Amino acid sequence: MSELLAKVAEILGAPETLVQRSAEARAEASGNTVEEVLQSWAGGEAIAASVPAAETSVVEETPVEEVKEEVVVEEAPVETMEKVIEEESVELKKESSLIFIAGVLGVAMFTYFFAFAIPKNQSADLVAESLNNEVAVSQEVLKGAQVYNDLNCQSCHTQNVRLLIPDSQNGKILKNKFADEVIIKNTGLLRLGPDLSTSATREPTNNEKWLTRYLTDSASVRDTIPHPNYDFLSTSDLDYLLTYLLSLGEVNE
Amino acid sequence: MKIKLIPNNEQDLSKVFIFLLPLVVLLSASINFLKDAFRSFSNVLPGNQVLNYGFLDKLSNQISFNFLFSFILVVTVVYLLSKSLGRSIIIFPLFFLTGLGLIGIEFIDVVLAFISPEQLLDLGNTSVLLLIKILLVGAFLGLILLNFLAKKEPSIFLSSQFLLGAVVFYLISLLIYRSEYTVMSDNFFINSMYLSTHIYVGCSFVFLSIFYFLITKGMQATLFSKTLGTISFWGYLFLLPWTGFKYFYGTTLPDWIENVSIYLSLSLIIPLLALIVNYSKTIATKENKEPVFSVLISFAFVVFGLTNVLQIISSISNVTPIVSLTNFEYSVRYGYMYSLILILIPFVYHLVPKIYGREFIYGRLETFNAYLLGTSVVATLSLNTLIGINSGFSWNAGANAGNPTIYGEGFLITWSLISTPYTFILFLSLLFLLSTFLFTLSTLKAIIGGSVTESETVSEISGDNDE
Repeated sequence: MSELLAKVAEILGAPETLVQRSAEARAEASGNTVEEVLQSWAGGEAIAASVPAAETSVVEETPVEEVKEEVVVEEAPVETMEKVIEEESVELKKESSLIFIAGVLGVAMFTYFFAFAIPKNQSADLVAESLNNEVAVSQEVLKGAQVYNDLNCQSCHTQNVRLLIPDSQNGKILKNKFADEVIIKNTGLLRLGPDLSTSATREPTNNEKWLTRYLTDSASVRDTIPHPNYDFLSTSDLDYLLTYLLSLGEVNE
Repeated sequence: MKIKLIPNNEQDLSKVFIFLLPLVVLLSASINFLKDAFRSFSNVLPGNQVLNYGFLDKLSNQISFNFLFSFILVVTVVYLLSKSLGRSIIIFPLFFLTGLGLIGIEFIDVVLAFISPEQLLDLGNTSVLLLIKILLVGAFLGLILLNFLAKKEPSIFLSSQFLLGAVVFYLISLLIYRSEYTVMSDNFFINSMYLSTHIYVGCSFVFLSIFYFLITKGMQATLFSKTLGTISFWGYLFLLPWTGFKYFYGTTLPDWIENVSIYLSLSLIIPLLALIVNYSKTIATKENKEPVFSVLISFAFVVFGLTNVLQIISSISNVTPIVSLTNFEYSVRYGYMYSLILILIPFVYHLVPKIYGREFIYGRLETFNAYLLGTSVVATLSLNTLIGINSGFSWNAGANAGNPTIYGEGFLITWSLISTPYTFILFLSLLFLLSTFLFTLSTLKAIIGGSVTESETVSEISGDNDE
């Protein structure tokens, strides 16, 4: 059937969908099957528009010449198809690529400016207006922040206490504003483990020995909660990391 | 089976891609499984530089959301663009090189992440690699635009519309990723926009492109309404990039953008309804009666719809503070990715006979695999949603500041609520890995040993479309 459909579509120079629909419409009108209609079109033959019994009997009674004339005039498949194509041409209206491309690029630019560039600047201005705390960060802390970032600690820990209190009301968090890029990246976007923004202000995470054991052999400290062991870190990297962790939550009034 | 390493046209190139695609999916599923295993058993597994959670998480993101995504995008563009524009691709050699370069640069990212994570930071996000990536995506977009302008079909089919949208926002996401971090909120802006343009728009648009192709050409059905398709296209194009900010409700982001994000996320119901009506009415006219093929498409559609529903639910004002910064967002992110992988499977099955001229037989293995894939994906998303709600409630209940971590007892409570779902997720990711392996097996079996059938010619590839 699909081959036949393809053949008819090729003969008539029309899309398959259209031919299929036209054939279905013709079949319904004529009382034939879709395949019969397609075969007739493929062979260039005519098919009765409708073949109710009464009409058939009339045809039988009509002289041969008259019948031929009727068939040729009414049932020529090409004419029928042209008519159908005209009716369906609404669906195949020409769409301009240029207008479409302009539309997509327009939405993309609108999104970039209004959802990103403008509010990002606005947010930075808000912070700048409300704060005056460019924090001086030591090189050791910065290196530790980099180790933290390399280990991807921020995939489980946030430094962003704010489920019910906005950051703008949280003094300790504000102390990290205008910090180095890597410190900002460590804010984290998903909290699987505890939030670490104030970890240096509470027990036991303010204890260097405890932290060292926990980072290198977590099961020896808490075996109920899985935490990766960073026993592969070099001594210097571990020291930098500890320095960074022990700086979290410091208040630089 | 002959595969040309330097293809002459889109059909030759599709041959290479269809062969490699299951292997890339398998790689992504393997890393994902390793990551899940390490998360649940991180204190008993070796914690070396390669096998630690942070490293695997980064690697998994790079493979699933960058490498796999770029691979699928190029495959889809190569096959569907010519198909839906009614002509063979113009300037094919350049097109081939750009596509290959795009996949190559994402692959270099993955390799660098594996062998030298420190170098990745220097090369990856800040300068050289990202700049090359932007240039390549820009060139790729330019070539697609040229093909659009030279189209032979009178109308623009939905598949190509979605492909163009995906590539445009891919470029936007890369431009955003080059932005500077100055204040804390920049982390939310840059990551949220990168996530929503790269993953939400990127994955869902490639999904929808394949989806519209399969429900019309694949299912041998006639598209119910182009207007509804257009509504879903412009709807998703305008709404999806804004939907990530709601997860940062109450932060230093300006209030208006958080509220706009919430309202626009709720508005996702409009393109979703248009899509549902179009899908249900279109498949009512299908002539392809292969049940497994239909089931695979239905599963992909269910996952995509479910992901949209999760986006809408998380915009309800009482729910937003609870699900923020939790696995709830992960179920949305992975929902879009999984729906893309799920629709890819019937796409590959459909293309094997057309590209390779080998018959693809849907046997018991394929039937079993279809249900295994669908159920494992839906269950994984549901469990991530559950973890998100549980941990969100726990963090909120522990302290008003969301920081119930003094002496660690807060996290003990949270972990007791979420550890069981995590164990189930590990089991499900093993099942997903098995499914991708079976998918690879089915595809390779058909390509290598399937009985010979009539394949598509290049002119046919660039020819008819039922949309």
